[in-house]
Amino acid sequence: MKTLRLGLALLGIAAFALPTFADAPAIGAAAPVFDLKSVDGKPFSLADAEKSNAYVVLMFIATQCPYSNGYNDRMRDMAAAYAKKGVLFVGINSNNTESVEETAAHAKQHGFGFPVLKDPGNKVADLYDARRTPEVYVIGKDGKLLYHGRIDDNSNDAAKVTSPDLKNALDALLAGQTVSKTETKAFGCTIKRA
Amino acid sequence: MPSSALPALRAWWKRAVPAALLVLSSSALAFGVEAPKLSGEVDAKGLADAIAKNKGKVVLVNFWATWCVPCREEFPDLVRLEKAYRARGVAVLGVSIDLPKDMAKVEKFLSASAPDFPNYIKRVGGDDQDFIESVDPKWGGELPFTAVYGRDGKKAQVLSGKQSYGSFEKAVKSLLR
Repeated sequence: MKTLRLGLALLGIAAFALPTFADAPAIGAAAPVFDLKSVDGKPFSLADAEKSNAYVVLMFIATQCPYSNGYNDRMRDMAAAYAKKGVLFVGINSNNTESVEETAAHAKQHGFGFPVLKDPGNKVADLYDARRTPEVYVIGKDGKLLYHGRIDDNSNDAAKVTSPDLKNALDALLAGQTVSKTETKAFGCTIKRA
Repeated sequence: MPSSALPALRAWWKRAVPAALLVLSSSALAFGVEAPKLSGEVDAKGLADAIAKNKGKVVLVNFWATWCVPCREEFPDLVRLEKAYRARGVAVLGVSIDLPKDMAKVEKFLSASAPDFPNYIKRVGGDDQDFIESVDPKWGGELPFTAVYGRDGKKAQVLSGKQSYGSFEKAVKSLLR
């Protein structure tokens, strides 16, 4: 019977045939720390960024994904607005199909004032089980994951957003309140893994 | 023309026009110029109904979009798989996540890909999160994404990201046994 149960359990695991990633960090659990280089060659340490900011927003982004590109202006504007409140926005490009040079040019073209990191071999995307672009994670000073999901509910038209989920999460946290929706979903482009 | 002839003319017109359209569309099909069309819009319930209508078959539902490069790359394998396994009881359904403004691109893509299976477009409105979770609670919304249902209509497997012909085939073969 034990063997049968084990077999059924294994079948259940096999039924969700995702590529083998690390488990996604749960809300409230420690967000995996990492060190990467930005596309302009500067070192970035998440552990250091957590210490020097109230919150860190990691955004898995792309240069060629229309869903990610739909948020370029919103990411730039939110990063600038929340920087004044002690929130650091960080872009991460984990697509093996998009080079450092292309990612740097894209960041410059869209006036990103936040660091954009290149994630060679998609190691950080794997640590976070990030699967699409855009996909965002909010991390607190204590290194715990506080929000995971989408920026809002309308990639196509910022004027038609009815649920600004990332903004709601940050505003709640900055006001010392609990985040009402900690996990959200949206369509996006698969991260092109090596 | 005498007024008494008008009703007869109207009746003839009513019969002639649909007949002419039928002949024209049949000719187009015969010459292979009829582009595959979308089978309509679906929301979560519409999709569940479409899957339920295929009960008794192994159903593979593929979510794609014209802007999604890996979706476009794997689509020919789905077209090939459906042709190869249709007689053994496999049905394929496509669901485009494109926005209505990209309808022309969707039609062009379907015309070029020539699938022999129905393709729907996700209905606009409502929260995409609800649609995503109705398909699979573990789906994060990444495209392409494929859900495979057994002959009993129950979801048996999901495939995240671009697949090969071999992985699609493995998924359906395991359910055809």
